Amino acid sequence: MGNSWLPVQLTQMAHNVDGLFYFVLAVVTFFFVLVEVLLITFLVRYRRTKRNQVGANVHGNNKLEFVWTLVPALILVIMGVASVHDVYAAQTQPAKPVVIQVIGHEWYWEFKYPNGVDTHNDLRIPAGEDVRFDITSQDVIHGFYLAPMRMQQDALPGRETQFWVDVEPKYVGQTFLVPCDQFCGPGHPTMVGHMTIMSESDFNQWLATEKQQQSKSSGS
Amino acid sequence: MAAVLEAPYAERRSFVREWVLTVDHKKIGIMYGVTALFFFLLGGLFALLVRTDLLVPAGVFPAQDYNEFFTMHATVMIFAVIIPLLTGGFGNYLVPLQIGARDMAFPRMNALSYWLYLASGIVFLLSMVSGMPDAGWTSYPPYSVTSTGPGIDLWITGLHIAGLSSILGAINFIVTIQRMRAPGMTLNRMPLFVWSMLVTAYMQLFGTPALAGAITTLLADRHFGTVFFNSAAGGDPMLYQHLFWFYSHPAVYIMIVPAFGIISEVLPVFSRKPIFGYHAIAYSSVAIGFLGFFVWAHHMFVAGMQMSEGIPFMISSMIIAVPTSVKIFNWLATMWRGAVEYTVPMMFASLGFIGSFIIGGFSGVIVAAVPLDMQLHDTYFVVAHIHYVLFGGSVMTIMAGLHFWYPKVTGRMYSKKLGYLGFWLYFIGTQVTFFPMHLLGLAGMPRRIASYDPAFQFWNDVCTVGAYILGLGTLVIIYNLLYHAKRGPKVGPNPWVARTLEWQTSSPPPEHNFDEIPVVTANPYQPYTAEELAQAAQSAP
Repeated sequence: MGNSWLPVQLTQMAHNVDGLFYFVLAVVTFFFVLVEVLLITFLVRYRRTKRNQVGANVHGNNKLEFVWTLVPALILVIMGVASVHDVYAAQTQPAKPVVIQVIGHEWYWEFKYPNGVDTHNDLRIPAGEDVRFDITSQDVIHGFYLAPMRMQQDALPGRETQFWVDVEPKYVGQTFLVPCDQFCGPGHPTMVGHMTIMSESDFNQWLATEKQQQSKSSGS
Repeated sequence: MAAVLEAPYAERRSFVREWVLTVDHKKIGIMYGVTALFFFLLGGLFALLVRTDLLVPAGVFPAQDYNEFFTMHATVMIFAVIIPLLTGGFGNYLVPLQIGARDMAFPRMNALSYWLYLASGIVFLLSMVSGMPDAGWTSYPPYSVTSTGPGIDLWITGLHIAGLSSILGAINFIVTIQRMRAPGMTLNRMPLFVWSMLVTAYMQLFGTPALAGAITTLLADRHFGTVFFNSAAGGDPMLYQHLFWFYSHPAVYIMIVPAFGIISEVLPVFSRKPIFGYHAIAYSSVAIGFLGFFVWAHHMFVAGMQMSEGIPFMISSMIIAVPTSVKIFNWLATMWRGAVEYTVPMMFASLGFIGSFIIGGFSGVIVAAVPLDMQLHDTYFVVAHIHYVLFGGSVMTIMAGLHFWYPKVTGRMYSKKLGYLGFWLYFIGTQVTFFPMHLLGLAGMPRRIASYDPAFQFWNDVCTVGAYILGLGTLVIIYNLLYHAKRGPKVGPNPWVARTLEWQTSSPPPEHNFDEIPVVTANPYQPYTAEELAQAAQSAP
């Protein structure tokens, strides 16, 4: 049946977001079941029959109105408070992260690493370190979306958006897709990069060799 | 007086005089309805093209064609089907009848609204000949500025004309409802559909100018060398998004609040019981209409806003869930201890609407939470959400309304068998088409892509099968309604034993609506008696 649920969680943040998701999902599922059960019950139990010709003469009930206004409101307050907590956790920047510049183009992703290495559609991330993405676009709006991190920001021309991740070391060696999820034209569906999780030492080694190769090819 | 009013009936009028030159709100309402149903078939055809493309991961059509298909699908469905059908169709036909008036306040302006709407639809059709818009119904710059060809210019032109039609219609409804109610009909005795139309008209009046501003500046950026959205020259593409959503989120409520009104009319009639919580339902519509103007940036949580800037918009969006759930509970309570009759409109309104729409409501709460939207924004989860609201909500209700007021409008009854068949195809098709989209979105499938990762194929194929079921259901429903408009068995003035004023006059009503303007002494949701229902059953043909 293919992919039909949340992907793997690469970061602590992803675990937190999923925690919030499952909490909200549990609440809405409860109310979904409640409403559907009441709906079906009332449809069946109070269907029109020879003995049940007319409905009761009831116009409303203020106590009930009060309850079903207040209870959803209180539950939404709890959801809101839980969400606010995660928003500030995501927004608070870590000290001294590895900064990778992400630049959207029609139709590929460009990544610039701290030592000047520049790749297309090839994103490498050191595990166990704070990595910050500084995201922008060279042309139209793109969407930099990392589903396993539960994170995305649009890539806009003339504006920089950011988010940061800290990948758990156990995912070293795995690769994931980096799709564009903001509509950007006929190349939109094929604007997909690859993300490789590396150990810190492998990452640094890769940066060094890549730097050599890139300066060689630009020098020749 | 009576002689003067009846005089026009003596002569047969030509088609032009009867329809083209008419200023009768009922005829204009019918024209809105028929035109919108034509565009519904067209918009549905585009939806089927989109779903057909997604049968295989590589896509069937070139990406450019696919982009034009989904752009046209949403544009046609929103601006040429749901909004005009609910406000122009149902609103026009029902509001004057339900408030006991002879017509709208400005009958000629009403006709103008229709003809402008038709003109906007023709402009959308023209783009099918000369090059369709390809930037999505949101048409975000800079892509929509760089997109070449006349598609986007025609899209802007069509939207402007549709917007003007909307604004004129809104003014007409506000004045009609405020000034032309029958003697004794205070605001708190108005039918709930009229309440919902009043709220909708205010939303259209205040929201549509923002859209006009957004697309006018877009046109200027495309052709007149302005730089409103060009960041290299100091402009800002986010300005467009703010203006666009300042209209387009209220537009979602413009598409659902009248639907709420229809549900509030259908449920009490077939529960044979007064509506539960009249005031709560009426005032929650007002609350939704008001709050609807404070949520627009929840479409932009990841568009370049500071993350915490989303919090106030998250709160306002979640607050809207409160009046909405108040309505749901009141509707359920209306059926509680009722004598529920499983008529075709009741099936659409109860199982069809309540059963499906709540899924869209609940997924709305999920995407309203900023951290969850950081993940789900622009994925198929959002596509699932909007379709549960607009299809499970608005379209399901439109079908409830069409099957409810059909005998009033035509004076005849459709085939109930085909009606039930249409309902079940719609109910099953809705779940099969739109529910798997939640799963695709959770798994990370982006929206608006013509080709996709093969891992997503299974659920995409399920969605496509569902879409074909919906297509079949649409054909059954439209055939049933068209065929029986001239051939169905005749019905009396009030075949459903409903309470609102439109049922107290003949079916179809005379041109002047009422021989005598009724005097209103209570709201229309009064209890039923067994004798009255037995009598109605006996007198039915």
